[in-house]
Amino acid sequence: MDIVLGIKVQDSVIVATSKAATRGISILKDTDDKTRALNEHNLMAFTGEAGDTVQFAEYIQANIQLYGMRENFDLPPKAVNHFVRNQLASSIRSRKPYQVNVILAGYDEAKEEPSLSWIDYLGTKVDIPYAAHGYAGFYTFSLLDRHYRSDMSVDEGLKILKLCSEELNKRMPIDFKGLRVKIVDKSGIREIDVGL
Amino acid sequence: MSDPSSINGGSAVAMMGKDCVAIACDLRLGSQSLGLANNFEKIFNFGHVFLGLAGLATDVTTLSEIFRMKTNLYKMKEERLIEPESFANLVSSTLYERRFGPYFVSPIVAGINSKTDKPFICGFDLIGCIDYAKDFIVAGTSSDQLFGMCESLYEPNLEPEDLFETISQALLSATDRDALSGWGAVVYIITKDKVLFLIYFF
Amino acid sequence: MVGLSFDNYQRNQYLAAKGVGVPKATSTGTTIVGCKFNGGVIIAADTRATAGPIVADKNCEKLHRLSPTIWCAGAGTAADTEMVTQLISSNLELHSMSANRSPRVVTALTMLKQHLYKYQGHIGAYLIVAGIDPTGAHLFSIHAHGSTDVGFYQSLGSGSLAAMAVLESNWRDGLTKEEAIKLCSDAIEAGIWNDLGSGSNVDVCVMEIGKDAQLYRNYLTPNTRAQKSKSYKFPRGSTAILKEDIYKLVDVEEEVVNLDTMQVDA
Repeated sequence: MDIVLGIKVQDSVIVATSKAATRGISILKDTDDKTRALNEHNLMAFTGEAGDTVQFAEYIQANIQLYGMRENFDLPPKAVNHFVRNQLASSIRSRKPYQVNVILAGYDEAKEEPSLSWIDYLGTKVDIPYAAHGYAGFYTFSLLDRHYRSDMSVDEGLKILKLCSEELNKRMPIDFKGLRVKIVDKSGIREIDVGL
Repeated sequence: MSDPSSINGGSAVAMMGKDCVAIACDLRLGSQSLGLANNFEKIFNFGHVFLGLAGLATDVTTLSEIFRMKTNLYKMKEERLIEPESFANLVSSTLYERRFGPYFVSPIVAGINSKTDKPFICGFDLIGCIDYAKDFIVAGTSSDQLFGMCESLYEPNLEPEDLFETISQALLSATDRDALSGWGAVVYIITKDKVLFLIYFF
Repeated sequence: MVGLSFDNYQRNQYLAAKGVGVPKATSTGTTIVGCKFNGGVIIAADTRATAGPIVADKNCEKLHRLSPTIWCAGAGTAADTEMVTQLISSNLELHSMSANRSPRVVTALTMLKQHLYKYQGHIGAYLIVAGIDPTGAHLFSIHAHGSTDVGFYQSLGSGSLAAMAVLESNWRDGLTKEEAIKLCSDAIEAGIWNDLGSGSNVDVCVMEIGKDAQLYRNYLTPNTRAQKSKSYKFPRGSTAILKEDIYKLVDVEEEVVNLDTMQVDA
């Protein structure tokens, strides 16, 4: 039931994740952050099996950080995306695979363009203009199909995100405690409060 | 979730014409009923050999990368590009290596031998059994529909322009009757000195 | 690493545990037969390959060459019959080179059955092995678990019952080559017509003592498709195109370099 959304606009990516941390019938926390910053310009949002998600995200985070320190060069989004896909594609063939689905938001400084990648626990990877994992996609893709343009500004993107948030609040059977919204662009990763 | 080879959906088809071959695929990638992407190509080329991979998307990506590596190593060792017939055997042995834990894909190969100028197409099951064909090869979630379309539309010795229409209409009609395929298509028409690459929507 | 890789086996067991089915491999729902005659041995097969209820290949080859004078017909999982046959063919060649003798049918038989037994039936190859060697003409059959049979006539595959009915009623001792070919092709035809898993054409391989083995590919073609009375060709331009690109892929330039006059930097 976790919500993970990503929208790629003109020169940045918007990432929204639900703030509720749920276990069974209880909401344990309403300030959860389902994202990890992998480096200056790469953010990973994740959903999936309880223990696996954070374990996997921080393993990826550590390795991307390590690469940055060793080589004194931060991996660009394309390389990060392939690295994560490779990890998940190898994991699915192991004794106990990670059950983690991720959305990778990044900004390629060399190419000066944003990047959004959808990867599931099987290692399926696609680069798409807007992405969602779980049930959120069923409710939001139709809105995004209708209103999305690739040359939108962040503000225009946030307007669509607001539409998505309203729809999710109306249709989702449980309260997901709102969305935590982050922006990835040329100046890095930042969280913004848009009251969603 | 039931059958791994129909989680993501997708189809591919290859046909033989007069001194030419054609290979085509749809562009959909889904997660069960939910369509996710309309830009997921299932055809890859290694020099002048074309490989279509329908099936589980993660394995499609993994295998395309494996074959990219293997054909590059082949190119360095042999100092020439791999020919379609050799590539077919490479695909076969690579898949059979995983006999008891297969990749969930149905590959098809199309190309023209650069030495003999002979057109070549073939298909495989998921463990690498080669199906050599003189007419057409189908694969993917709409393979049943494609069999029907190809069996009725196909005729031998088509010119490249006519082969394009035949393969396109066969693929479009077949994928229109498959919920898991469609969302755009790509067609490659391969003649001995050039490749025509066409995208079209409906 | 020696042998086949079982890497993905665990993943698929995991997937299976989650209610995921495993897709079907192409199987040769098949009719294959073999029969000895005065001075040699013959094997024959139909040419249909199936994947579930779908005919995957209408004219496949089920007769495999193990050595120039030893051939085998395969039923069961198509990839397995093909790969096991190629493997044993290679090993037979290496063996005959190191032993400096032409390969024997019993050698092929032993190599095949030991390989199949090792895999406990998981390699789904059902074979009829026949051939000529210095000790004469031989005919055997092998099952996927590794058991073997000897006989003057054999049949295997989903059409084996139909074929065996023909073999049992028409076989006699001391057949001529022509009579044996007729008997085998009749038996395959019984499979083609009466077994849904078999169909299309008849392939025959004749192995005669003192002669090269002869493969008669499509010896009988009782299922040729009639010419279509109408062409379904579409007028050019029927299909709407969004984008078109032309690649010129191959452009190889060759140059002869004279090694004597070539300058090499020190």
